[in-house]
Amino acid sequence: MKREITFKLNNEERKVEVDPGWTLLYVLREVLELTGTKEGCGYGECGACTVIIDGRSVNSCLYPILEAEGRAVTTIEGLRAASGELHPLQRAFVNEGAVQCGFCTAGMIMSAKALIDENEKPTEDDIKDNIAGNLCRCTGYVQIIDAIKTAAGGGRT
Amino acid sequence: MEKFTLIGKNMKRIDTAAKATGEAIFSADLTLPRMLIGKALRSPYPHARIVAIDTSKAERLPGVKAVITAQDMCGDKWGVFRYTQDQQFLPTEKVRYMGEEVAAVAAIDEDTALQALKLIDVQYEALPSVFTIDDAIAAGAPQLHDAYPNNINVHVKIDVGDIEKGFNESYLVREDTFSAPEDAYFQGEPYAVVAQFDQAGNLEIWMPNAGPHMKAKPLSNVLKIPLNKVRVRKITIGGAFGGRSEISPADVICAFLARKAHRPVKIVYTREENTVATRQAHALVTKIKTGVDREGKVLARDITCHMDGGAYSSTGPIATSVPFLCMEQAYRMDNVRYNGYRILTNKPIRGMYRVHGRAFACGIDIQLDMIGAALGIDPLTMRLRNARQTGDYTPTKSYVASCGMTESIVKAGEKSGWKEKFGKLPPYHGIGIGCNSVQTGFPMGIRGGSQAFIKLNEDGGITVITGIVDNGQGNDNMVVQIAAEELGLTPDDVQLISADTEVTPSDPGSYAMCETFIGGNAVRLAAQDVKKKLFRIVAGEFGIGVDNLTARDRKIFVTENPEKSMSIAKAVRIALSRNESISGEGSYWPNVDPKREWVKNPYGQLSETFSFGTVIAEVKVDPETGQVEVLEVTAAQDVGFALNPQVIEGQFEGGVAMGGQGGMLSEFLQWHEGRVLNPTQFGYLVPLAIDMPKINNIIVETIDPNGPYGAKEAGMSVAMSAAQAYCGAISNAVGVYFHDYPITPDKIVKAIEEKKQKENAEVPG
Repeated sequence: MKREITFKLNNEERKVEVDPGWTLLYVLREVLELTGTKEGCGYGECGACTVIIDGRSVNSCLYPILEAEGRAVTTIEGLRAASGELHPLQRAFVNEGAVQCGFCTAGMIMSAKALIDENEKPTEDDIKDNIAGNLCRCTGYVQIIDAIKTAAGGGRT
Repeated sequence: MEKFTLIGKNMKRIDTAAKATGEAIFSADLTLPRMLIGKALRSPYPHARIVAIDTSKAERLPGVKAVITAQDMCGDKWGVFRYTQDQQFLPTEKVRYMGEEVAAVAAIDEDTALQALKLIDVQYEALPSVFTIDDAIAAGAPQLHDAYPNNINVHVKIDVGDIEKGFNESYLVREDTFSAPEDAYFQGEPYAVVAQFDQAGNLEIWMPNAGPHMKAKPLSNVLKIPLNKVRVRKITIGGAFGGRSEISPADVICAFLARKAHRPVKIVYTREENTVATRQAHALVTKIKTGVDREGKVLARDITCHMDGGAYSSTGPIATSVPFLCMEQAYRMDNVRYNGYRILTNKPIRGMYRVHGRAFACGIDIQLDMIGAALGIDPLTMRLRNARQTGDYTPTKSYVASCGMTESIVKAGEKSGWKEKFGKLPPYHGIGIGCNSVQTGFPMGIRGGSQAFIKLNEDGGITVITGIVDNGQGNDNMVVQIAAEELGLTPDDVQLISADTEVTPSDPGSYAMCETFIGGNAVRLAAQDVKKKLFRIVAGEFGIGVDNLTARDRKIFVTENPEKSMSIAKAVRIALSRNESISGEGSYWPNVDPKREWVKNPYGQLSETFSFGTVIAEVKVDPETGQVEVLEVTAAQDVGFALNPQVIEGQFEGGVAMGGQGGMLSEFLQWHEGRVLNPTQFGYLVPLAIDMPKINNIIVETIDPNGPYGAKEAGMSVAMSAAQAYCGAISNAVGVYFHDYPITPDKIVKAIEEKKQKENAEVPG
């Protein structure tokens, strides 16, 4: 039986009819058509589905949708400024060559955002720990780490 | 004035902003009106006869719109080559691996589709199975296909020079056997397909692919519709690494479901399906016998390699050859014999993988270390003494037009501090070196060349039309970079239409690292064609010769007098007003020997040019736990010319992660009677950010005479030689040469214990 839940999605109040068995990822992708968040495994292993809930990075494929009631959810689509300008992390990922196939990118950026929102000057180890739940098969992570450093203001420009 | 404005410089890739904002659309992101969800029913048996399939209950389930079995197809068999046509997209008689597709449904949602699968009743008669190379070739073994006696799918035989003479003249001869189980591609994006037919019977289809034209032809064949009705569309692709090379049963099943249901259908693979039912990399057992002179120069090699190919041919003849070919390119070996056997087993299908056979490349290289140790020659010098050189011919008769192998060895050695470190590191520290080489394409029949078109707009902007596909490595950007450079435009002035079989001309696809060399050359020629036409117009207006003009900053100007110029937009408008064609066309056909064939004639020019790479790795091993800490990796590759250094460095680093860190430390598939026990990341350990070492990148440029701006390919040699370097470094640290890969902690602990026991036994009293 469907239920209605209310949560804040990318700074907008949303009311959504959901099946209690659905995950947040399912609702984002299939109901709300926010396909920037990817499904790489469905088990919380790969991090491609990472979103931010109340300031914390979360694997949305494991997150029961009913838990989202009353919470603030940010997805990759919510990062750009209203003017259309890229978020500093998005800009850094592009500039530093941190994006190859791009399948992991949204989740990687969301994990990094949760980190730098909390810790303005993360060390390289902080960054590596932070994205340890985000699998990238293309880059070897070097340019991703550089990009996060740059966005946090601690790396090269 | 600088020679180039864009080429040779770090350039932000044109495709990455869309990926960083989540706007890039991958196959699973597509939604079409009235779209259904498709699912495949898979065999629970590794080998079984299909006695009967009853789909009636599934068909009656509300919400199910189509069910298909082999009955819906014509029984056609697919193969990359005529002589390897052995795979039906839905089998009629028997299944040959656990996970093979047997039937499929399309329903209004995923739950209904999954429920319908449970209602399909398949009666199987289980058959005896074979799961190892040895069992498969044993006398009386169950046979997978009538066409391949003794389950020998492919035998590649190469015999060059006189190996017996070479061994006789050798100062030292050794023979070793190396082995490794299968690896998984583990692309970020699980496989997905969307298909729909229009009223005229045209198929539109989206899926990850390494070449849209390579998908379109088999679809046309099996659907019995002309090629111009198959429209493989451009879509963002989440990695390939060789694993998206061929038609997939999912493509065909999706198209058949869409045609039967008269509605669009989407199939999205789970992570397990991606691991089991797309492609895996071969397991290998390689026996290598090498003879050298006193200085360590190889005089003869005899190699026998058995590869576990799984249930069907796939790219078998190529896959059986390439591990050898890479090494015959990397090192001089005048007298060499190679026998490669691809053996069929009741396991999932194996394809071409970015790291072509750990147990081959690492075997060749670590054996050089063993021989060097016996001769008192260090591993780096062993490489230098055997390194391929410019102007050489490979044993199978490919001319090597440019070769930076020696330079890559020397530079990697200097950067890593090899001289100061080798033999001088503390206990359980080690350093190792690996060298490799890859092709930039190979003879690919009528699809071996690439063509490109360029159309101009009246504002001076252009649209490039090319079949080149981007799997994530940056090919789209490479095309734009080249076209913009040639015509003096900015990347923003260039629109790209690519990898769409309705619109874009023939191209080999992203195989064997050929896109930069072949596709890049075609785009450059198309741009030069446009430039020539624009120059003719401007030269006429200015009353000067075409040779005196340059295109830059959206203008065409007199080279000697840059003040005098005309905007490209104006030149285009003049052409339009005169009804003068200024569209451009370019095509490039690589200089390869069309008579070369993988099995029948493995001699002749394989690829127009080759890349060469060296990796040096330094490691520290914990003797108690067997854990390996990689301290530093230095990757050097002759890329010809670095079109976009940042992209190349990303390829190097990704190559170290996949080939070295994953390929040599942690990645391997585990089995129980044909079932993959670790199809997901829980058990299949793909490197994470916390695992990665410091990486030094060294770009070596040899300016290939025929590559676009001298470019060859970016990063493949690194991916392969990284595995070899890790192997050498761990062996050096432990003091034991490893023969079985990956080198996991249990193997290291065991090797250390055995070494200690041996040493204790040797100490008297």
